[in-house]
Amino acid sequence: MIKYTTFTILFILFIVPALMASLIKMIPADDQPGYGDMGRVSVYGIRDFTQYFVSKNKNLVAIGTTIKNPNLKNKKDIIFNLYDNNDNLIRTTTLNGFNIGDGDFIKIIFDVVPDSKDKKYSFILESPDAKEDEIIEVFLTKETDYILNYSYDDETHLGGAPIVTFHKPDSRLETVKLVYLNLFSKWQMN
Amino acid sequence: MNMRKLLAIAIALRLLVSGLLFHPDIKTIAFQTSFLKKGIVNIYPYLINNKASLSLKEEFVYFPFTYLTLGSYQAVISNFLGNDFDNWLADAGANSVVNNPNIIKYLIFLKFPLLVMDISIAFLLLNYFKKREDGEKAFTLWLFNPFTIVLIYAFSNIDIYAVLLTVIAFLYIKREKLITASVFLGLAISFKLYPLLFVPFLFLKSKNIKDKILTTLIPISIFVLSIIPFWSSAFVKSALVSGLSVRIFSPSFGIGFSESIIVGLFLLSILFFSTYLFDKQSLPLRGKKIKLFNYFVILLLIIFSFSHFHISWLLWIAPFLTILVIQKPSLKWPIFFWAVFAISIPLFYSDRAMTISLFRIYSTWYDLLPTPFTFIQKLYDAYNFQSMLHSVLAGLSVVMTYKLIKDD
Repeated sequence: MIKYTTFTILFILFIVPALMASLIKMIPADDQPGYGDMGRVSVYGIRDFTQYFVSKNKNLVAIGTTIKNPNLKNKKDIIFNLYDNNDNLIRTTTLNGFNIGDGDFIKIIFDVVPDSKDKKYSFILESPDAKEDEIIEVFLTKETDYILNYSYDDETHLGGAPIVTFHKPDSRLETVKLVYLNLFSKWQMN
Repeated sequence: MNMRKLLAIAIALRLLVSGLLFHPDIKTIAFQTSFLKKGIVNIYPYLINNKASLSLKEEFVYFPFTYLTLGSYQAVISNFLGNDFDNWLADAGANSVVNNPNIIKYLIFLKFPLLVMDISIAFLLLNYFKKREDGEKAFTLWLFNPFTIVLIYAFSNIDIYAVLLTVIAFLYIKREKLITASVFLGLAISFKLYPLLFVPFLFLKSKNIKDKILTTLIPISIFVLSIIPFWSSAFVKSALVSGLSVRIFSPSFGIGFSESIIVGLFLLSILFFSTYLFDKQSLPLRGKKIKLFNYFVILLLIIFSFSHFHISWLLWIAPFLTILVIQKPSLKWPIFFWAVFAISIPLFYSDRAMTISLFRIYSTWYDLLPTPFTFIQKLYDAYNFQSMLHSVLAGLSVVMTYKLIKDD
């Protein structure tokens, strides 16, 4: 009983977190910034939204942000196009408003962009078939070290959507190692 | 293994779980009770009136004794932990809270009173049995079962104050000192309402009218006296209309014309009146006394079988089941499976804090993983799955109840 309980507790504390870490398929580069008080912009019809950002790590695989779908009215296609620094289209993904709640954190997943570390990218979010009463809304926040600027209605401003970039880890073992390094950084009694 | 070594390993395991697993309730409660050291005695209206300016908006749902006990303890440890500790308590950022480099230290300090209560229960169990050997078995079983370690330290279970006082009360019941027992029950009720359900059975066990009045009035008076200074609409709204009363009395079946039979109350009534009509009258004729232990266990089995319980409630029954395992070894495996099913049900609730989020100190990346609820939902109706687990638990409870009644 003593051995069984000791083993069970140590298993929960040290093996379960490793098993869970090994299931993580993508790692966020940062926490999502707060929405701030910069308002929101509507995306529908010809009104698209362009965001310029820096990928802080390699293997860029997804962009996450919060999107409003007021009254869940948008049930149209939402197209996401990712461009490199030379404005070459490198990835494209289509979502559907039907799957987006009002204020959901949405991860837009695409094929891995391998050598993305410290490179500048932009994406355009559009919903060309959506009418004025079928808008989706993108929140805005101030610029950060990776959220550079955004274009909307033919104007460019600092900041943009409160995005998080996600990156594919090199290996499961790498993720486990990073999780434990993070834990041990808090293992102090000062 | 000698007692000291056993205790050292038990404490080490508990400190590890205390420091590494984080349920956000401990921080919310610590934030709320931190106002005592700032001179706020009546916390209930204070939190409601200052909601707009406070970083954490939740109301204080526990009774005044909990506030005063935890608040006093925190006033002492704050001297060691410094201003950064107060800043951490007030931090409302989901990620910054767990990324604080001192979080392990803070959690160990905050959960230390639980350790004291937990070890105290182990020593009470050690002295519960006539045979020293049985006491040692109970002591070891209490200290070395993963269920109570997880229930107390992962979920920061402050119900342990009421549990300890209830165990003390039960020890006095065993020694036929019912008045003293009723005092401890009163103190336990002042922390958590559930021991109030034991009072009618104490009433039945009392020998004469005077004792019956005293064993009923004493716990209720202690509870009333403990809440009167705090009485306000804020207190009633935040703490008195508790999850217990709402959850125990919610499952019901209709009998027409908007009337229904409340399952929990129905079964508790059966238990009470059968105790009165059968045991109370027939046992003395056979030279036996009412064994309140069995009724306490059955009462709790009813609660867990027929209500949507919070995981922390499982601690209420844990000392009784520990005793039962030693007293009736034939129930060892049924009790083990009962514990497995009981602890599994809340783990499948649609609440990240029950499972994945407990590990957020390790990494906030776990937020990307599905909870057991979400995982099941992909394969099957998760609520139906919970119902299946709960049905098995209820079935097992009925069998254990039958065995308890039949054997005694």
